[in-house]
Amino acid sequence: MAASNLVSEGFNLMLIGMGFVFIFLTLLVFATTIMSKIITRYEKNVGVLPEEGIPAPTAVISQAMSERQHANDDKNLITVLSAAIHKFRSRDK
Amino acid sequence: MDKLLHLWEVTGINQMTPGQGVMILIGMLLLYLAIKKNFEPLLLVPIGFGGVLANIPGAGLAEAGGILHIFYTVGIESGAFPLIIFMGVGAMTDFGPLLANPKTLFLGAAAQFGIFATLMGAVVLSHFGIFDFSLADAAAIGIIGGADGPTSIYVASKLAPDLLGAIAVASYSYMALVPLIQPPIMRMFTTEAERKIKMVQQRHVSQREKIVFPLLLLILVAFLLPDAAPLLGMFCFGNLMKECAVVDRLSNTTQNSLINTVTIFLGLAVGSKLSADKFLDFTTLGILVLGMVAFAIGTASGVIMAKVLNKLIKEPINPLIGSAGVSAVPMAARVSNKLGLESDPHNFLLMHAMGPNVAGVIGSAVAAGILINYIGA
Repeated sequence: MAASNLVSEGFNLMLIGMGFVFIFLTLLVFATTIMSKIITRYEKNVGVLPEEGIPAPTAVISQAMSERQHANDDKNLITVLSAAIHKFRSRDK
Repeated sequence: MDKLLHLWEVTGINQMTPGQGVMILIGMLLLYLAIKKNFEPLLLVPIGFGGVLANIPGAGLAEAGGILHIFYTVGIESGAFPLIIFMGVGAMTDFGPLLANPKTLFLGAAAQFGIFATLMGAVVLSHFGIFDFSLADAAAIGIIGGADGPTSIYVASKLAPDLLGAIAVASYSYMALVPLIQPPIMRMFTTEAERKIKMVQQRHVSQREKIVFPLLLLILVAFLLPDAAPLLGMFCFGNLMKECAVVDRLSNTTQNSLINTVTIFLGLAVGSKLSADKFLDFTTLGILVLGMVAFAIGTASGVIMAKVLNKLIKEPINPLIGSAGVSAVPMAARVSNKLGLESDPHNFLLMHAMGPNVAGVIGSAVAAGILINYIGA
């Protein structure tokens, strides 16, 4: 008796389980479709978000300078320094 | 002399039981499969090594107080590790293909039939007295058919902690064996003409849809099946971090360092369950066989569902993508793609198969929630 009870429990669980998985995912299909439609319509008016995401606010964390900027800064620094050295030496004479 | 005798008594050679010897060899076999054959090495290396460590006689690494036992208690018994892994998986998942063609969710649902059919099989086997599985054991074995490692471990830790070692090993081995198990079944249920079906190019999915989807899924879970909320909640959280693109640092950590760290401890902790007295058992054999059956049925029902859908809706669906409904991301999708290319070298199914593939992850998490709910109640 206990064993056949186990089998009927298993059968119940199979029916409920499969049924629920289908109901859940069917609802998800509908919800997703509706969501996509709404967003597509909305985006017709406002345009899409950039793929790489919303640009980060620069004020929060000072962004690391790009390689090019670094190179430029170094160049400027060298120009200024060499000018200063040149001037210093010429004054000494 | 007494001291010498004592030294002999504490050596491994003296204390080793035949069972432990066999388990160390099994651990080494897992290591061999992982290193030489490249079977899910990220998991089988820690699991195999954990298995060897757990069986060192006299060291007691897997007994109360041992380090592996501590990993197990902290991470698996509490359910934390599988959930953290699920968060990482969420952060690596792209729902784009699924959103482009939401109907593929049905394939992910159908493939879960493997879980429940196997559960039924395990129960029937117990009925005939071949095995002695309770309903909870049967459910934990069935979930192997979900082909989702973290979900299997999560369910097993909740419903049948004694079987966890065997279930985890079965689950990860079969995930590694996807390219061997699935193709024959897929060929059996499809005709050459069906395998050549070309699918329509997927539409572009906007970033906004990708951001809203995890929230939508979360709300649906919250309303309908709170028992699946731990798994799917972490999954959605990980995915939202990735898609919203404002917390890249968090998302990167989740996808890389965090998931890797947890994988190491998860593997070792699962390995600690490979102790001789628990693993060398007739039951383990049953679990391995039933797990394989679960997998095969899941694959077949996914393919059949794809054929049914093909009859019902206008857009053509190549039945080969149905098999990807058994999660195992992204291996199952690659298998679909490979078989498609075999029949028609210009038919790329990979992106189409990713839809049912991630649907399968959702489907097996939902199934897990139902099992926990039904048996826990």
